[in-house]
Amino acid sequence: MYSFTTPKPKPLIKEDTKLWLIFIGISIILYISFTLFLEIKTVLYNKDINSFNKEIVTLKQKIAKLDSQKQFIYKQKTLYEDVMVKNSLMKDSIKNLLDLIPDPITLSRISFDKNKLIIYGITPTQEIYNMLMLPPLESIFTETKTYFYQMNNGWYTFKSENYLKEKQ
Amino acid sequence: MKKPNISFKLPKIKIYGIDVVKNFLFFAFFIILTLFFIALIISPAVHAFKSSKKDYYQTKYTLQITTNQYKKKLTELKKLQNSNRKILNALKKDFNKNNFKLFASKYMNVLSIKEVNSTVYKKNFLKTTYIMTSKIKSPKNFYDFISALKNYKSVLRVYFPIDFIKNKENIKLTLKLEHYKLK
Repeated sequence: MYSFTTPKPKPLIKEDTKLWLIFIGISIILYISFTLFLEIKTVLYNKDINSFNKEIVTLKQKIAKLDSQKQFIYKQKTLYEDVMVKNSLMKDSIKNLLDLIPDPITLSRISFDKNKLIIYGITPTQEIYNMLMLPPLESIFTETKTYFYQMNNGWYTFKSENYLKEKQ
Repeated sequence: MKKPNISFKLPKIKIYGIDVVKNFLFFAFFIILTLFFIALIISPAVHAFKSSKKDYYQTKYTLQITTNQYKKKLTELKKLQNSNRKILNALKKDFNKNNFKLFASKYMNVLSIKEVNSTVYKKNFLKTTYIMTSKIKSPKNFYDFISALKNYKSVLRVYFPIDFIKNKENIKLTLKLEHYKLK
């Protein structure tokens, strides 16, 4: 047999098959690339989340420390103000007690203690003491004892012991 | 026995030279492959990605709130420290007898200051007790002295027993002083 056309070499894979294979191959590469991109983004997000969580824990610890520092400042402030108020009260109470001393009576010694007041002094008469000084002392203290000693000039030295009983 | 002759051959249908059956099979394979990728690989990855993204923004928001809270607390603390600077410094100061004598000399003549004891007060503080003897001209000096303690650089409390003894020219004053400082 003789052919008038020269034979063409037959390709192993046909043209359309080749196109399909290339198309499918590119699609698979794209799918895998997209998945990888998402996986990488997920890993990066997770890494950032861990880092944020660590920062949050550190900040919370710092906040707790700041709170305790703040509380300690308040504690110091309370102590300071308490001391200053007590000093002021001490001054006022002593001033008030000394202001109670009437003119005819002269004091020689006065001892203040927590629940006790001892007064030593001189009074022209026991009556003056009992009229002018005893009532205010009795109104302040729960127990008052007075001892008089007559002097050579007729005046009296006295010792007044005054006690406050603690409330039970 | 004769073997059944099973042979399968794809039918060849060509339109304008294009093999329709082969192309249809390739198309079907492509669709199946795509569905397979979506179902088994892409979808779980998208799900994980979305979940991480949501967590990321939530954690970022929490961090932002915590940071703002920290900054606010820090500013508050600094304000508190500044407004109480005098108190905080006073509680850090030791008691210096010579300095105290100099301070008290405006109101009295300090004769002696003796340390009695030192105890821990309210866990964080140290309370040191001193007995001070001095001479004053009148009780007013004592009142002024107590008022001036507000301005003294360390924290001092006047406490019982307080004893006034009148002498010829002045009054001998004995009292207890409590000094407070940080432990």
